[in-house]
Amino acid sequence: MVLEILDILISGLLNGGIFALIAVGLSMQYGVARVLNVAHGEFIMLGAFFTWTLYTMLKVNPLVSLVICGPIVFVIGYFLHKTLYRRIRLSSESQGAFEGNSMLASFGLLFIIQNLAILRWGSGIKGYSYLNFPVNLGGAMFAANRLVTLLFAVAICIIFYLFLTRTRLGKAIRAAAQDPDAAGLMGVNINQVLALCFGLGALMAGLAGSLLSMSFRVQPTMGLEYTVIAIIVIVLGGLGSIPGSFIGGFILGLVGSIVSHFEPGLSLVAYYVLFMILLLVKPTGILGR
Amino acid sequence: MNRVALTSKKFLLPGLMIIALILLVTSPSYISAYKVMLLTSILMYIVVSVSWAIFSGPTGYISLASAAFFGVGIYTAAILGRILPLTYVIIIGGLVSVVLALIVGVITLRLKGMYFAIFTFGLVELLKHFLLWWEINITGTRGRFVISVHSETVFYVMIIIFVAVLLTAYLIKHSKYGLALQSIGEYEEAAEHIGINVTMVKIATFAISSFFIGSAGAIIATRWTYVDPYIAFNPIFSFMPVLMSIFGGLGQLFGPVLGAAFFAYLEESLITKFPYHYMLIFGIILVVAILYLPDGLIGLAKKWKKGSLSSGLVELLQKRQKGRKEV
Amino acid sequence: MSKKSFFSLIICLIFILTIAVGCSQPAPQPAQKDPAAPTGPVVPDKNEIVIGSVSSLSGPLSPIEGAAFGPIRQMWVNDINARGGIYVKEYDKKLPIKLIEYDDTSDIGTMTRLMERLIVEDKVDFIFPPTGTAMLFAAGEVANKHEKLLIGMSGGASEIKQIIAGMPYFFSALNFSDTQMPALVNMMVDQGVESAAIVFIGDLHGVEYSGAAVPQLALAGIDVIYVKSIPPGISDMSSLIREAKAADVDAFLCFAYPDENILALMQSMELGFNPKLFLTGPGGNFGFFRDIFGDQVMEGMMSWGAWNERSSPGSKEFVDKFIPLYGEPMVDWWGHNLYWGALQFFEQAVEKAGTLDNAVVRDIVATEKFDTILGPTWFEGGMLAEECHTGEVGQWQNGKFEVIAPYDKATAKPIYPKPSWPR
Repeated sequence: MVLEILDILISGLLNGGIFALIAVGLSMQYGVARVLNVAHGEFIMLGAFFTWTLYTMLKVNPLVSLVICGPIVFVIGYFLHKTLYRRIRLSSESQGAFEGNSMLASFGLLFIIQNLAILRWGSGIKGYSYLNFPVNLGGAMFAANRLVTLLFAVAICIIFYLFLTRTRLGKAIRAAAQDPDAAGLMGVNINQVLALCFGLGALMAGLAGSLLSMSFRVQPTMGLEYTVIAIIVIVLGGLGSIPGSFIGGFILGLVGSIVSHFEPGLSLVAYYVLFMILLLVKPTGILGR
Repeated sequence: MNRVALTSKKFLLPGLMIIALILLVTSPSYISAYKVMLLTSILMYIVVSVSWAIFSGPTGYISLASAAFFGVGIYTAAILGRILPLTYVIIIGGLVSVVLALIVGVITLRLKGMYFAIFTFGLVELLKHFLLWWEINITGTRGRFVISVHSETVFYVMIIIFVAVLLTAYLIKHSKYGLALQSIGEYEEAAEHIGINVTMVKIATFAISSFFIGSAGAIIATRWTYVDPYIAFNPIFSFMPVLMSIFGGLGQLFGPVLGAAFFAYLEESLITKFPYHYMLIFGIILVVAILYLPDGLIGLAKKWKKGSLSSGLVELLQKRQKGRKEV
Repeated sequence: MSKKSFFSLIICLIFILTIAVGCSQPAPQPAQKDPAAPTGPVVPDKNEIVIGSVSSLSGPLSPIEGAAFGPIRQMWVNDINARGGIYVKEYDKKLPIKLIEYDDTSDIGTMTRLMERLIVEDKVDFIFPPTGTAMLFAAGEVANKHEKLLIGMSGGASEIKQIIAGMPYFFSALNFSDTQMPALVNMMVDQGVESAAIVFIGDLHGVEYSGAAVPQLALAGIDVIYVKSIPPGISDMSSLIREAKAADVDAFLCFAYPDENILALMQSMELGFNPKLFLTGPGGNFGFFRDIFGDQVMEGMMSWGAWNERSSPGSKEFVDKFIPLYGEPMVDWWGHNLYWGALQFFEQAVEKAGTLDNAVVRDIVATEKFDTILGPTWFEGGMLAEECHTGEVGQWQNGKFEVIAPYDKATAKPIYPKPSWPR
């Protein structure tokens, strides 16, 4: 019985770690840059494909790939904001119009990136095996690669949180999140900060993709399911709240593993039921203002 | 002279409308069978987008429940199609959607902005996965055949729904409810203070608009011949009306119509002409359109009306230049 | 916007739409022409056979399309054209093939519409099937309505048998549970399997395979520990695998798609679950599956199928042609030789018919026998005859997918129990 509970708890945490990481990334993009980036999952897909390519072609350790893929995806995200979203921001009449237009542009990006991936890598399923042996944790068995994924996801989120709270740049980002106009008046280069936020969001997605590729399949159409999960988590945690997204990820992971323990066919239903009930009870999310 | 012009103008517009409608209705006799199907598909997208915009346009509540209403209509046709005549099936499809919309409307009263959007999206996924689980574990089936109906019948039914949804949208917009919806979108608390029954107006409009999506789903399902929960509750039907309406231009009834027609036609041309690159081209068009038409197609039409198209573009460029200097 | 401009815009739109749709082809049909009158070429002069294909080039079904029928379709068209085409007596010459390809984006509404477009607008001579079971069922209806021959490739279910009677134009080339399950259960009994756990995906495929497996296993005296459905897109199957491990089942049968099967295999290794018999299908039959896990992991893994280059001389020829073009990971050891055989059959049927008239070709497909890589090949009640299958169950042995059941078609003996996962 105790072992069973331990099983459920740990597998919930293992899934939750990845959910948290991708949600924190989207939270940066939506919470600060106000872009509901529906192409978030495509950055995850890119990270996963880069890692897969490096592993199968050059035998690069996937954990080493993190340092290679992360910056690449960051640069892509950063310049996307500099060129695309900044212009949309300038040409949109209101905040609402910007959110609508930027979401539409993200849909365009989703189509573009997915099609390019299909052209480059084909529509087939890819994958590789890395650290796929069991680890015994107090009697419960777990996959080594998922444990590594969890550790890295938590570490990345903590480093990121420290960056936001302890550094000057992080403070500028938080100021911009609260009131972009005021932050602009205070001398924060708002366009720079927003592009940085978007890039950081993409970076998290890329890292998540690298980590995911160790224990999941890789294919061009994989992105959307992660985007949906990320959107659920950021709403669950409270829009714009980074700690909320982090906690929300773990909550979703735990609920999923509890329900799939009893009835795996309903695990996806459980996500939505939980989420809808929570919205009704506390419409601004767990840590929402 | 003035009066003559006025009266002639008064008759001109309805006259033109009727001619246009006649042209549409008689089109099966002079365009090919496939074109009729394509028109049906375009009309379907217009119906879904306009229905979506009836509620979401003025109030600013982004509903992603369209796929749920659509799917409910489809499943109504799949289950009842063999035992009831078509007319009943379509009406029941719409009514079931209305019931669903009423329930959703009542329980989501407190939700605003993104929270409402995500809740309604959750509804689609919830219904899909629940129906899937139900069909497998309770009824022991998954897919269902839908009774096939002649493509021209589907076309005419779709025209009827199309006309009905346009009339409804127009009537709502130009009635006191339209005004009430507008004020809810602008400042909900203020609307409440001046005596608008905000709850009632919101729920009623949401329910009315869902009727058309449900009935459109019920009729189009007969063209799909075989459905399962994954096919019926395809989230694309939640996003498409939003994309099409924003693309066409929100705030005007005509925006969603134009956006839906353009989108649906463009998609069909691309997947048939460039099957391996269609997403790429579609995506690029989307991004470019947003960069250069931030107010949607309708914004372009407005500028064109104001002056010439080129001067509109010049103005747009100047605006952008100015924006750049400010940075 | 005022009422007037709103309506005028609507009017404009309707005009534009009707005109745009009407004029998108250079020569619209004149209004007075009776649409029922034959508009196709009456004069027997034709320079190519036009075949239309709607398949899922993008969207969730695209991985299946890309791995199953997609490459075969391309390769076959190129192969025929390299030989100058198919000889059709009516025109007294070899006609090369022109393939029109559309993408249905994995959406059934788009698929049915484009399939009708191919038939009524593009006036193709023949159509190729879409991807997946649900799509095939829907396409079968459309094809039958327009009396176009449709040979279903990737996808299918025994349920087809019941509906195929009412669809004379619909044929199915793939083998599935009705022939595979008896072969599997028979083999399991002989190997001494005592218990099994079944996981199936929540769709027609999964429902059907689990529906066939449960009573047959019970009848054979094999204890079924559990039968559980999983939704497509599930991201964690650890509870299912733990339960099977705790019950120490002999056989783990996963009737799901590659997505879920990859997850099941990964998590089984990760959790140290080593059943004596592990079947994933469709999944383990694909070359890419072995590519992901490597030979050592795949050793002893079973899947549906099955064939290999030793199944027939033609199969060897096919493999030698296919692998240089697409690579070993692209081979589907379940369906590819059936698809290729069905297309060879189709080619000979057209040649024999001497015409592109679908009704004539259909009758030949329904009644004739031709030699293909499957040996003598024919259809029975709309389905490829069981005698033409080169195998029903396959197993990876030393990096080769071997046919292990039924015994008369086997290329190797089954390995049981499956070796443990490599360290």
